[in-house]
Amino acid sequence: MKLTPKVTLLAAGVLAATSLTACAGGTASAGSGGATQPKLTFIQGVAGDEFYVSMQCGIDAAAKAAGATVNTQGPAKFDPTLQKPIVDSVVASQPDAILIAPTDVAAMQAPLKAAAAAGIKVVLVDTTVEDPSFAASAIASDNKGGGLEAFKAIKNLSPSGGKVLVISTDPGVSTADARVAGFEDGAKADSSFEYLGVQYSHNDPAEAAKLVSAALAKDPDIVGVFAANTFAAEGTATGIRQAGKQDQVKIVGFDAGPAQVKQLKDGVVQALIAQEPASIGTQGVDQAIKAINGESTQKEIQTGFKQITAENISGDGAQYVYKSSC
Amino acid sequence: MTTTEAVPRTAGTASEISRAHTLKQVLQVQSFQILLVLLVIFLAFSALAPEVFPTWGNVRQIIQNVSILGVLGIGMTFVIVTSGIDLSVGSNLVFSGVVAAKVMQAMGGSGWGTAVVGILVAVGCGLGWGLLNGVLIAKAKVPPLIVTLGTLGGALGLAQVITGGVDIREVPAVLQDTIGYGNVPGTTLPTISLLAIVLILIFGTVLHRTRFGLYTFAVGSNEESARRVGVKVDRQLISIYVLSGGLAGVAGILSLSQYGTTAIAGQSATNLNVIAAVVIGGTSLFGGVGTIFGTVVGLFIPAVLQNGFVIVGIQPFWQQVAVGAVLVVAVYVDQRRRAAAARGHAAKADGKRKLFGRRSR
Amino acid sequence: MTTIPVLEARGLTRSFGNVRALDGVDFDVNAGEVVALIGDNGAGKSTLVKALSGNLALDSGKILFAGGEVELGSPSEASRLGIETVYQDLALAPHLNAAQNMFLGREIAKPGFQGRLGFMDNKTMRAKSREAFDELGATVRSLSDPVGSMSGGQKQAIAIARAVAWAKGVIFLDEPTAALGVVQTRNVLETIRRVRDKGVGVVFISHSMPHVIDVADRVQVLRLGRRVATYEAKKTSVEELVGAMTGALDGAHS
Repeated sequence: MKLTPKVTLLAAGVLAATSLTACAGGTASAGSGGATQPKLTFIQGVAGDEFYVSMQCGIDAAAKAAGATVNTQGPAKFDPTLQKPIVDSVVASQPDAILIAPTDVAAMQAPLKAAAAAGIKVVLVDTTVEDPSFAASAIASDNKGGGLEAFKAIKNLSPSGGKVLVISTDPGVSTADARVAGFEDGAKADSSFEYLGVQYSHNDPAEAAKLVSAALAKDPDIVGVFAANTFAAEGTATGIRQAGKQDQVKIVGFDAGPAQVKQLKDGVVQALIAQEPASIGTQGVDQAIKAINGESTQKEIQTGFKQITAENISGDGAQYVYKSSC
Repeated sequence: MTTTEAVPRTAGTASEISRAHTLKQVLQVQSFQILLVLLVIFLAFSALAPEVFPTWGNVRQIIQNVSILGVLGIGMTFVIVTSGIDLSVGSNLVFSGVVAAKVMQAMGGSGWGTAVVGILVAVGCGLGWGLLNGVLIAKAKVPPLIVTLGTLGGALGLAQVITGGVDIREVPAVLQDTIGYGNVPGTTLPTISLLAIVLILIFGTVLHRTRFGLYTFAVGSNEESARRVGVKVDRQLISIYVLSGGLAGVAGILSLSQYGTTAIAGQSATNLNVIAAVVIGGTSLFGGVGTIFGTVVGLFIPAVLQNGFVIVGIQPFWQQVAVGAVLVVAVYVDQRRRAAAARGHAAKADGKRKLFGRRSR
Repeated sequence: MTTIPVLEARGLTRSFGNVRALDGVDFDVNAGEVVALIGDNGAGKSTLVKALSGNLALDSGKILFAGGEVELGSPSEASRLGIETVYQDLALAPHLNAAQNMFLGREIAKPGFQGRLGFMDNKTMRAKSREAFDELGATVRSLSDPVGSMSGGQKQAIAIARAVAWAKGVIFLDEPTAALGVVQTRNVLETIRRVRDKGVGVVFISHSMPHVIDVADRVQVLRLGRRVATYEAKKTSVEELVGAMTGALDGAHS
C-alpha cells in the first residue's frame, strides 16, 4: 500500500512540472539572455506541418542573424479554438513581436488586436485577418499569382492547348479561392485553352476521383487538371487512371511537402507549384525587427512561387521542397 | 453525525471507523487530489516564470479560454455519471452557432433584439440534438458512443450544408462586445466566465443536491435497480442528454460571441478535451461517480499546462504528452480505487489507518 | 378458514419459446403469514416471483390482491399496492449510500418551495433509515459510505430493510440467506418473523429446508411450473418436502 493513488497522482504532477524544466533548454531557443536581445514568438497555423516547419527554419535563421530569440508554438490542428488560447498565453509572456499564421480571419482578429494594443508588434505570415491594420506587416504568397503559375505549368506540359479543369478543396477557403481565380484568369486569357470551371472535392480523394471521372465522361479531351491540394491530386490521378487517360491529362499540384514531392516522383502529378515559406519567414523577421526598432515597415509583402517538375526536382527545384526539420 | 448505535448480536468491529470521516474523505476524493496536482503545476510555473505566470492578467485569460469548455463540461459530467458519453457536443455547438448566425444574419441589426433571438435559436438547436441523442439512447437502446458519433457527423454535416462550408462572420456587435470580450462591469472578470460560473453553480447544485442529480447517479450506478424502485430511467437519460445538448447550444452562442465567426472547421478537438477534463476530474467512465467541481479542476489542468508551456517556451508537442499523461494517471487512480473497493472496504480502511498511524507518530 | 389471501395467483402461465416456465400455477399468501416457496432449480420460483412483483408479463391467469383482480404491469404498480421484493442480486445502487438506497424512488422532499425545486430532506431520510435499520437489528456501519464498499451481509440487511420499510401487503425474499453467515442468517430469519407479526404476508424462497421449516407457517412446492403440494410447516418434515420437490412422492399424496 505504499503507492497510494493520491501519492501516485501527486508524483505525476510533480513529474510533469519538473520534466518541463528539463526539456525547456533543449527544445526552444528562448532564454533570458541579454536584455537587448529582441524576443520573438512564432505561432504556426498547425504544429508539425512541413509548410510551417520550413517557415520556422527561415525564421530561426533570420532571427539568429539578427541576434533575436524565437519561441515557436502552434496548435495541434488548424483550428482557431485551439490557436486562440495559445495567442493569449503568448501575449501574457510579453514578447517584443509575434509572427503568426492566423487560423481564421474573424476569430483571430480580436486576440491579435489585443496583442498589438499591449505593445507587441504583430507580423502576419501566410494567412491574414479581416482588418490587418494593426499589424506591422502582412507577408503572404501571392496566391492569385500561384494559380496563374499553375496554369503556366499546364501550358508548359500541354503547349497545344485544350480543356482544363480545377479540383479544389472546399469553397470559402480564401487562399484556395485566390489560386482558382488566378488559374481562371490565366486560362481565360489564353484562347487556345478552354476553362471548364472548378469542382470541390471536400478533401476526399474518392470524391475527387468521382468528379474527374464524370468530367472526363462529359469532356473526354481534357488536357490538364489543377489539383489544389494533395488529396485532390490523389483522387484526380485515380480518376484519370480509371479512364485510361494518364498520357493525355496532365496534373499540376500545389505545395511541395514530402507527400506532394512523392506524388511528383511517382508520376501521379507532373508539376508542383511550391510556395516559399522560408522566404516568408525571413522577411517576417526582418519586418518584425524593423518594427521593434521603430523603423518603418512594409505593410504588405507578397512572395513568389517556383514550378517544380521531374526535370528540376534534383536540381534547382530541390531547395524549394518543404522541410520536415531544419 | 452518522455513527452507529451499538447493535446487539453483532460484532461491532467497524462501527468506529466512520467517525474520523471528514478530512480523510476529502483527501480520498479524486477532485481534491487533482486540485493538489493543479496547485503543484501552478506553483511550478510560478517559480519558472514569476513575473509573467502568476499574474491576474494571465490567470484571467486562462479562465476566459476555459469558460466555453466549462459550459460543455457541465453536461458532459451528467452524461458520464450515467456511464454514457456525448461525442456530439462540439458539432452540436457548431451547428447551433451556424443556425443562430444564419437567423441573426437574416434579421439584420446588431442590437440586443437580434442577439436574444440568436441566443434562443442556438439553445433550441442544442436542445433538439440533445433530444435526438436521448431518445435514441434511452428508447431505441443504441449505445451512446454510436448515437453521439452519428450526431457528431450529422450536426457538422448539416452545418456545412446550411452554410456551403463558408463561415458566417456577421455576428451582432453587442454579443461580441459584451459576452465575447466584455468584462463584468466594474471588474476585470470576463463576462463569458461569469456566465460559465453561474451555470456551473446552478448545475453543480442540481447534480449534488437535488432528486434529479440523485437519479443521475442512481442510473449510472445500477440502471436496473433504479428501474425496479420506480425511477423513470428512460426519462432521466433523455433529460440528461437534452441538458448536454442545451448547454452545447449555449456554448454555441458563446463561441459565436467570442470568435465572431461560426468556425465550422473549429472545435475539432472540443469533445475529447471536455471528456478528458471530466475524467481527469474524477468522474468515472463506468458511471455512478463524479463531481462538477472535479470537472472544473480537470479543465484547468490542461489549460494551465498549455499556458505555462507556451510562456516557458516549450515545444507544443510536449503539451499533449503532459496532458495525456495526466489523463492516463487519473484513469489509473480511478481503476485502483475500484479494485480496492471490490477487494472489500474493511481491508482498505485498515490499510489506510496504518498509513495514517505511521505518519502521525 | 374464510380469510381472503392478501395475494393470490390463479392459473398463471407463461412460456419462453417452447419452455413452459409457468404452467397454470396457483399460489396464495395470507396477511401475517410466512409462506415458503420451494422447488428444484427450474421449477418456476423466480419466474413466479417476477410475475407477482410486476416484472413479467403473463400469457394467462389472474392475480388477486386482497380479493380484487389486479394488473401488475410494472414494479412501481406492485410497489403502490405494498408489494416489495428483495432480489437475489440485491438490486442496490452500489455508488449510493445506505440512506439514498433506502429512499431511492421515494425521496422525501424538503418542505415548501425548495422541495418543489427538487431539493431533498436528507436529514429526515437519514434519521428514518437509521430507525429502520435499528428496528431490524441490522448493522449498517455508515449511512454515508457507498453500499458498494460494504460486505454482502450489510448489503443484504439494507436491501431487506428497504423492502420491509415499504412493504404494506406482501414481501418476497428470494434466497435472502444464500450468501450469509450463521449470525446474519439468524438475523434475517428473526426479521422475517418480525415482519410477519406486523401483519405483512412474507414469501420466503429458499433451498435450505431447515430454515424453511424453522420460519415458515406454510410451505408451497413448485415443480415444472405448477404448485404440486402445500404443507403446514409444523406438520411436515425435510424428507417429505424433498420428496415433493423431486416428485418421488407422487401418487402417495394427492
